[in-house]
Amino acid sequence: MKIEHPNRPAPKAEAGTPLLTVDNLAVSYGGIKALKGISLNVNRGEIVAMIGANGAGKTTTLKTIARLLPISSGKINYDGRDLGPVSAESLVEYGVSLVPEGRGIFPNLTVRENLELGAWNHKSKSVIVETEMEVVRLFPRIGERVKQVAGTLSGGEQQMLAIARALMARPAMLLLDEPSLGIAPRLVADIFEAVARIAEAGTTILLVEQNTRLALKYSRRAYVLRTGEIAMSGNSKDLADNEEIKAAYLGG
Amino acid sequence: MPRIVRGVLITALVVVVLIWLESGFGASPGFQTVLPDAAWRQLVLFAMVNVVIALSLNVINGMAGQFSIGHAGFVGIGAYTGALVAGHLHVRLGSGDPQFANSFIVMPLVLLASGTIAALFGLLVGLPSLRLRGDYLAIVTLGFAEIFRLVIATAQTGGTAEGSVAKFLASLGGQNGYAGPEGNGVPQYAGPFWIFGSVIVATLIAWRIKFSGWGRALRALREDEIAASAVGVDPTRYKVVSFVIAAAGAGVAGGLFASMHDGSPTVQPDSFTFVQSFDAITMVILGGSGSVSGAIVGGVFVTVTVKLIEQLQGLESIQAFRADHPSIDLNALRMVVYAAVLIGLMILRPEGLFGEREIFRRKRPKKGGGDPDNNAAQKSQSTQESTQDSENSTPADKESTESASSKQATSETLTTAEGTAS
Ligand SMILES: Nc1ncnc2c1ncn2[C@@H]1O[C@H](COP(=O)(O)OP(=O)(O)OP(=O)(O)O)[C@@H](O)[C@H]1O
Ligand SMILES: [Mg+2]
Repeated sequence: MKIEHPNRPAPKAEAGTPLLTVDNLAVSYGGIKALKGISLNVNRGEIVAMIGANGAGKTTTLKTIARLLPISSGKINYDGRDLGPVSAESLVEYGVSLVPEGRGIFPNLTVRENLELGAWNHKSKSVIVETEMEVVRLFPRIGERVKQVAGTLSGGEQQMLAIARALMARPAMLLLDEPSLGIAPRLVADIFEAVARIAEAGTTILLVEQNTRLALKYSRRAYVLRTGEIAMSGNSKDLADNEEIKAAYLGG
Repeated sequence: MPRIVRGVLITALVVVVLIWLESGFGASPGFQTVLPDAAWRQLVLFAMVNVVIALSLNVINGMAGQFSIGHAGFVGIGAYTGALVAGHLHVRLGSGDPQFANSFIVMPLVLLASGTIAALFGLLVGLPSLRLRGDYLAIVTLGFAEIFRLVIATAQTGGTAEGSVAKFLASLGGQNGYAGPEGNGVPQYAGPFWIFGSVIVATLIAWRIKFSGWGRALRALREDEIAASAVGVDPTRYKVVSFVIAAAGAGVAGGLFASMHDGSPTVQPDSFTFVQSFDAITMVILGGSGSVSGAIVGGVFVTVTVKLIEQLQGLESIQAFRADHPSIDLNALRMVVYAAVLIGLMILRPEGLFGEREIFRRKRPKKGGGDPDNNAAQKSQSTQESTQDSENSTPADKESTESASSKQATSETLTTAEGTAS
């Protein structure tokens, strides 16, 4: 999967320097503070994981970065540009694609229609066809089912389709919200392998997961979110060995 | 035969048939030959106007999945606009009987004006209400349609009006209706040529909208608004533009309605009440939300049903019943009959007669919606397949080597998954 986009320059950030920077971000739903000022950064080319228990605010973080939720205070900066005034639908133009929690595919549309919608920001038919071929190479099971109605795919296939659809936009950065949610272990492994390959090809990934073991295995760095605050962060290897993490998230 | 040649021939044939229906080429008009009874002609033309109403409402309620319940308001705006334009042009053209030849001057301007004014009001109503999530559109459209109607119906008409707005409203005739600038009726320029022609054009436009990138964006929005904006579809823009298109279509229908052959000589506010809006919704839901064919069938069906119930009211036994029970409002009963039909249909076929499908499309996915694979998509597919044949490193190859070498287990589950899926 190449990340070059026909009409969009590659990110200015060098590999290993911050592509996404979240600074003291606070978000509330009505009066309830879901994020209480979190800061994090994702370097270009990295897989960074964000882990935490139910309701910690992981989805809220991703949705806010994806501009689906308003910012109460703080800043989100992508490749030197402030995302504050950017709308959700124009974010793909910046090179950021979200794979929503619970997949968010279009169930009554065919797999191909889903993919083509993912390529909404491409004008050229040949680019779409080419991108589809690359995406299908990554997810052969999706390629075999292009004419199937998306809602009839298995849960794991739907997750693959959701990722494939996001890749159709040729994003420089992918925001993944719980790709393992409700999926059989074997398919989960497939999906994480695909994520690793997407990252190898140069796409930067912010990965939200409840499956702490896998998240720490596949990411380079990780942030631990606890009730709207960053409780811990560091190299994923170190975190996986951390006693507190082991006790709280790795089941002993 | 090349596609273009075929297209031109079909268009020419259709135009000739339409002209024959209206003018008969010197002999008696084809429409009168086919349907000698004026009441029948009126019913057919009225049904066609309703089809345009249903086709336009289907864009916003069916395709975009929003809920507009004041469509009659836009029809009304189109009707008054059309009546004003037709009436004044008619005077300019020297009054007398409306000539078919003159309709080529009058009707294009009528339809343009009706469509444009209704579209402008659509923008005015849609822009604020569609920005907000939720069901604001329903409330706002309902309120708008009623305000429009009441402003006209309750205007002072006795020559006492002061100020240009009040004078203008007074000239529309209030509750009694607008009868043209000279008060002798709105000229009836919209014959079968214009009405059938509009139905054809409206159908083509609806079809284009549905089976294009636009239609796909609307379907995506309807299924999952968050996911749609995540892929770059701007919800507000698509909803507002769809609403404006729907309003414009309603306006055109109103323009046709105002100067319809064998129609009412006046345009009355009572033709655009909530009942008519509800009829329009019934047409769309009955035919199948999102289906172009469904809107056409729904439009005809509802028109005929309404007529039938009206006719039934003329029956002697019903008249006698009415005389015996003056307290029972049979017009209100119409709504009950309707509701019963709707409820029955919703139980039997919750997705309407056609669901989202169309009559004339051969290829269909197994479940749910129509198959919007347009030619471009099919082309892309064949390009892809041919590349697969000619190149070495292709998705298919890669996939087969992969599953053969490392993922036998996966390919096993894969076949079972396929077995259950199909
Ligand atoms: N639309 C909403 N309205 C009100 N509160 C909300 C809303 N969405 C989320 N919340 C609250 O915000 C907090 C964070 O939720 P969030 O969905 O971000 O958690 P999460 O870490 O993604 O959890 P999970 O692992 O279960 O997906 C929770 O307390 C949740 O109840
Ligand atoms: Mg979540």
